Amino acid sequence: MKKQLPYSTPSGYFDSLPSRLTEIPSRRSRFNLVPYLALAVSFALLVMLGNFILTKSTASQPASDEEIIEYLIDSGMTLAQLEDAVIIND
Amino acid sequence: MQEQEKYFNELVKQYSEPLYWHVRAMVGSHEDTDDLLQEIFIKVWNALDRFRGDSDVFTWLWRIATNETLSFLRKARVRAALSFSALDAQAERISDPDPYFDGDAAMRSLRKALLKLPDKQRLVFTMRYYEDLPYETISEITGTSVGALKASYHIAYEKVKQHLLESD
Repeated sequence: MKKQLPYSTPSGYFDSLPSRLTEIPSRRSRFNLVPYLALAVSFALLVMLGNFILTKSTASQPASDEEIIEYLIDSGMTLAQLEDAVIIND
Repeated sequence: MQEQEKYFNELVKQYSEPLYWHVRAMVGSHEDTDDLLQEIFIKVWNALDRFRGDSDVFTWLWRIATNETLSFLRKARVRAALSFSALDAQAERISDPDPYFDGDAAMRSLRKALLKLPDKQRLVFTMRYYEDLPYETISEITGTSVGALKASYHIAYEKVKQHLLESD
């Protein structure tokens, strides 16, 4: 077996290759804001979507007092804290 | 930053051509190699400030190039499997219509034999046979023990030899 790779390249390929590769640093610094912008836009969209869903669900079905108390108990609020809150509101 | 860019340009000047041949030996097609070389040098540029010279620059570059190339080949294999095309057929496709293949019948046969090798065997074979790299360097680049590399090379060499004998 001859120790020669059986391939060739288009003519002048290696003359133009270094100049194409040395453009990489300037290309990267020009576009390095793109991922951050994409992240900011995604975050804004998520906030808008969350706000839309929340507004829609609360607007269509107002929660009853029992549901609110149930929610507060589930969220870890103690009975004493709950009673305090009721007394203050009364 | 300017110093870094200057160093990057030096790396391009010194290593772009040997890296091209390192990747081309693995991938086969000129177009794929050209695309991969861009990706490799983007990775090099992004990692340049973290390169502390713990390994020498040659090993570092070849490690990046090898990982990128193996990842490319893995993805190509998955794509081929998803499109239900046999890998042998893929090897034929890569081998035959390449306008930048300039070998005779024996070289064409050798090329087919190389493309039929599993990726890691082809990697060891090309690094040892064509690039003349010592096993110790290949071991640093690939993270594989010298013993395992010697075994892989031997198996690959026998497979290539067998393919060439059968195609005569």
